[in-house]
Amino acid sequence: MLQTSALTIGYKNGGKTPRVVANQLNLQLSAGEFVCLVGPNGVGKSTLLRTVIGLQPKLAGEIQLSGRILATYHPRELANQVSVVLTTPISVGAMRVDELVAMGRFPFTGMFDRMTDHDWDVVHETLRVVGVENLSHRYIHTLSDGERQKVMIARALAQEPRLLVLDEPTAYLDLPGRVVVMDLLHDLAGGNDKAVLTSTHDLDLALRHADRIWLMDDSGQISQGAPEDLVLNGSFAQIFNRAGVRFDPLSGSFDTQHRGSKPVFLEGQGPEAIWTRRALVRAGYHVEEEKLPAFPSVSVITKNGTTTWQLEHEGQAVTFGSIYELLQELRN
Amino acid sequence: MNQSPDSPASQKTKRLWLFGLFLFLILALFLLNLALGSVRIPLKDIWGILVGKEGVRESWVYIVQNSRLPRVLTAALAGIALSAAGLQMQTMFRNPLADPFILGINSGASLGVAIAILGSGFVGGLFLPALNLRGEFSLVLAASAGAGLVLALILLVGRWVQNPTTLLILGLMFGHATSAVVSLLVYFSAPERIQAYSIWSFGSFSGVNWTQLKVMSLVILAGVGLMALLPKGLNALLLGEDYARTMGLNVGLLRFTILLSASVLSGAVTAFCGPIGFIGVAVPHIARNLFKTSNHKILIPAIILIGAAVSMAASLIAQLPGSQLVLPINVVTSLFGAPFVVWVILKRKRGATSFNV
Repeated sequence: MLQTSALTIGYKNGGKTPRVVANQLNLQLSAGEFVCLVGPNGVGKSTLLRTVIGLQPKLAGEIQLSGRILATYHPRELANQVSVVLTTPISVGAMRVDELVAMGRFPFTGMFDRMTDHDWDVVHETLRVVGVENLSHRYIHTLSDGERQKVMIARALAQEPRLLVLDEPTAYLDLPGRVVVMDLLHDLAGGNDKAVLTSTHDLDLALRHADRIWLMDDSGQISQGAPEDLVLNGSFAQIFNRAGVRFDPLSGSFDTQHRGSKPVFLEGQGPEAIWTRRALVRAGYHVEEEKLPAFPSVSVITKNGTTTWQLEHEGQAVTFGSIYELLQELRN
Repeated sequence: MNQSPDSPASQKTKRLWLFGLFLFLILALFLLNLALGSVRIPLKDIWGILVGKEGVRESWVYIVQNSRLPRVLTAALAGIALSAAGLQMQTMFRNPLADPFILGINSGASLGVAIAILGSGFVGGLFLPALNLRGEFSLVLAASAGAGLVLALILLVGRWVQNPTTLLILGLMFGHATSAVVSLLVYFSAPERIQAYSIWSFGSFSGVNWTQLKVMSLVILAGVGLMALLPKGLNALLLGEDYARTMGLNVGLLRFTILLSASVLSGAVTAFCGPIGFIGVAVPHIARNLFKTSNHKILIPAIILIGAAVSMAASLIAQLPGSQLVLPINVVTSLFGAPFVVWVILKRKRGATSFNV
C-alpha cells in the first residue's frame, strides 16, 4: 500500500544545503498490516511520518501510495486515502465529541459541510468501533487524555482512510490506556484493506502488537521486519544498548545495567520467586547459582496460600511476611 | 452517568432561544437608538417616520432620517464587521486575544487614513468632514490597503514564525512602527488636519451619510459573505493547519480568504468609523460563552447578531441620552471592553468554554 524507494527526508534549509534526517529509505507497508515505527528520541520518526503523508516535502526519492506517486494526489483525494492523528495536543475549545468526529467527514461533505444521514452513520459507527459511543455528547475538554486520544482516532477513522497514520498516539497515556490504544490499532489493521502506521516509544507494546516494525537508528537507517526477527537478529539490542540500558532478548524487555555485586542464593518457585529475584537485584545483590554458607540465602515458602520469606545467614534463620521486610533486614 | 446535562436537543432549543433573544434585543436597540439622544422622540412618532406617515414634527423627521437612522445602521454594520474580523483572527491565530487591532492591522488602516487626511495637506483635495465620492472610495482603499499590508506582512513572517506569541509581539511591533509614521505625519501637519485625524481616531458612528453608508454596507456585505463560505475551514483550523491539510482542505487558499475577509472588514470599519477597539475581541468570546460552542456553523450567525447588538448598545450609551454631550465610541467600548478582556484572561481555564490556545 505504501512504498518508498531511495527516499531522503529532512528539511530544506533556505538556500543552504538541506538538513538530511535520513536517506536511502526503502520501506514497505502492506494492506492489513499494523506497522510500528520505533527508535530513540530525535532520530526523525515524526519527520518520516510527516513526509509519507505529504505534510512535508521529501528531499529526494519516491513515495508511492496505492501504486500511485504521492505528489500526484490532489489534497482531497489524499484525504480519502490517508488520515492522521498527530502528536500535538489539540485545543478546539468547546466542542462535543460527535462534532469533532464529524469533522472526519470533511473530505466527503461539500463546501458548507452538509452532513447526510450516511455521514452521521459513519460517525456513530466509528465511535462504536473505538468504544467511545457513550462519550458522544461530552465536551472534548472534559475528557481524560486516554478518552481524547480515542476520540482523535475515531475522527481519523471517520475519514474512512485506507491508511491510518499516528504520531506517538500513546505519549500522554497511562499504561492501561496505552495497551487499550495499541490493541485498538492492531484490531483496526487486521482484516480488510486498512493499514495502520504509528510511531511509538512503547517498545514492549510494539513488540507485542505490531505485524511489522520499522526500527530507526541514530543515523537514520531503518531495519524492518517482524518484531521477532528484529529481536533475534540483534537489531534491537544494537540500537537500544546504550549506557545503562540493556535489551533482554529472553524477556523482550529493557533492564538497567547496574548489576548486583553482593552474592545471595535464592530458592523458590513461581511468580513469588521471580519478583523476589527482581527485588534482590534492585537491592544490589547478585543471585548465585550455588548455595554457599559464606553468603545469605533466601527461601520463598508458599504454604496454605500464604507466602513467607526465610533468610538464612551466619547460622541464623529469620522469617518475614513480605519482601519489603526482607529487604530491610538485608540492608542492615 | 457521564452524560453531559446538555443533550444536543436541549442545546438546540437553547440556542434557538438565544438567537430569538438577540433578534429582539437588536430591534429594541434599533428603536431606542432612534428615540433617544439629545432630543427624545416618542416611539409612536418614530414608527410614523419610518413608515412615512404625515403630520410628524418636521425637525424630528430630519433628525431621524439624516442623523439617527444612518448612525444606528452604521453601528450595526460596524459591530458585525469587527466581530467577524475578530472571530476569524482568533481562530486563525488560535489565540483568544487576537483581534485586528492587537495584530496591528487597524494601525495599518490608521496609517492609510492618516496618509489620506494628513498627507493630503501636501497633495490637496481630501478632508474628512467634506468628503466627495472619490474621497470616500480613496479612504476605504487607503484604510484597506494599510490593513491588508500589515496583515500580509504578519502572514508572511508567520510562515517562518510558528509560535503565536512571537507573531503577536511582531504584530505589536508593526503597530508601533505604523504609529511612529503617523506621529511623524501629525508632527508636520496643520492643526485643523491634526484635529480631523484625532477626532477620526476616537471613533464615531455619526459621520457616515447615506451615500457613504451604501459603500460601507456593500464592502461589509462582501467581507461577511466571504466569511460565510468558511465555517468548515475555520472549524478545521481549530485542529491546526496540519489536520486541515490532511482533511483535504486547501490551507493556502483558506488562509488567503480569511486574510482578505478580515482586512476588508476591519479596513472598512476603520475607514468610515475610525479604529474601534474591543468589539472585535469581546464579541466572539461572548458568543462562545453564551452558545457554549466553538463550532463556526453556530458562531458565525451568533457573532453577527451579538456584534450588531453590542455595537448598537455602545452607540446608544455614547449618545448619553438626555444630554447634549456625545462620547467618542472608543471611550465607551474601551470602558466596558477593557474590564471584559481582563475578565476573560482571569477566567480562562484549560479547555473552558472560551477558546484556548
